[in-house]
Amino acid sequence: MYSVAEVDKEICASTKCRLCTQFCPEGNTILYDDAVGTAYVAVDRCKGCEICVGICDDLAKHHAIKMVSIDQVKDGFEISKVGFKATFA
Amino acid sequence: MSLKTIEAAPGFKDYLPQEYKDLIDDGPFLKQRKVSELGSFKEAIEEHPMCSGCAMTLFIRLVYVGLPSIENTVICGTAGCGRLAISQGAVPFVYGNYGDTNAVATGIKRGLDIRFKEQNKDVVVMAGDGGLADIGFHAVMHSWFRKEKFTTIMLDNEVYGNTGGQDSGMTQKGMVMKMAPTGKKFEKMDMLGLAKTAGVAYTARLAPTNPTRVANTVRKAVLIAREVGPTFIQAYTSCNIEYAIPTPKVMDDARAVEKDRYQFVEYFSDEAKAYWDDSEKERKRLRKAAKQSG
Repeated sequence: MYSVAEVDKEICASTKCRLCTQFCPEGNTILYDDAVGTAYVAVDRCKGCEICVGICDDLAKHHAIKMVSIDQVKDGFEISKVGFKATFA
Repeated sequence: MSLKTIEAAPGFKDYLPQEYKDLIDDGPFLKQRKVSELGSFKEAIEEHPMCSGCAMTLFIRLVYVGLPSIENTVICGTAGCGRLAISQGAVPFVYGNYGDTNAVATGIKRGLDIRFKEQNKDVVVMAGDGGLADIGFHAVMHSWFRKEKFTTIMLDNEVYGNTGGQDSGMTQKGMVMKMAPTGKKFEKMDMLGLAKTAGVAYTARLAPTNPTRVANTVRKAVLIAREVGPTFIQAYTSCNIEYAIPTPKVMDDARAVEKDRYQFVEYFSDEAKAYWDDSEKERKRLRKAAKQSG
């Protein structure tokens, strides 16, 4: 079992900082919903490096991203199933 | 390559993979995307086999955002970690043999200039420190001396990461690596100094700690290479495997190294500086005119 990043959408939507999307080494893995104003993670692409956690905690100081075990993820967004969408809903 | 070559023929779009359709509809082609838009558009690179938390991948991803005209760009690379990701991008990738990357890029650039007289076709060499400073060194130097109009980007991870951690010419002095069991005995090569001596039009050194700066520097280098002459970017892209950096600490390491010995520096030749100042003025004027007209 491995862990993937999960964004707390409530905290994230109140900040609109977008820093995690710029520092993730994987393309189109942390996506951004412009309508809601929150980042969200494509759980099938996340390699679990935790760079975004460091960026959110230390640089942005929002503490909105946590690592969760892949089997604990509820309703994770899977980009391989639906393709690129600028919304997680 | 233009968007026309990417777009599907009428009637065939429905049969293409979803990723391809996304690239046509929401991709980075025909418009200059910004770093602040990341996550809101389909990127040219994704699902590569690079290690988790690799700073080189982050840098490559930002390079693709910075390219001024991604549909008219050809990327040339060689053996090394970087090509594992670059070869999967939605930009034509040419694999030069180890050592002759810049010679191959020279041929491509000259050929494109003859074939497409009316268009700007950009050639970007993106390879590792081994491919450019050690094995490809002669081709790099000669392309600079010949003033070939393309950009060379060095992904400097200071080690041969792909083959298991041997020291390269760009490894720091004293580092204990696989082929340097008592520590490397020689200084890190001064590629910036060599570039300056060879008359490179624009030289920059940076670490991927500021994504917007990475994209802007790449854009600047490619635009100057179009008009003036060779440009060179040396980027610190740590190898978290061979240097045993825990992945959550990769950005901390990049910031520490940047502070210590990898500060952002850029150097313009006189001609490049004059060109860049003029083109900046022109862009400002155009922006102002566009604002006034509506």
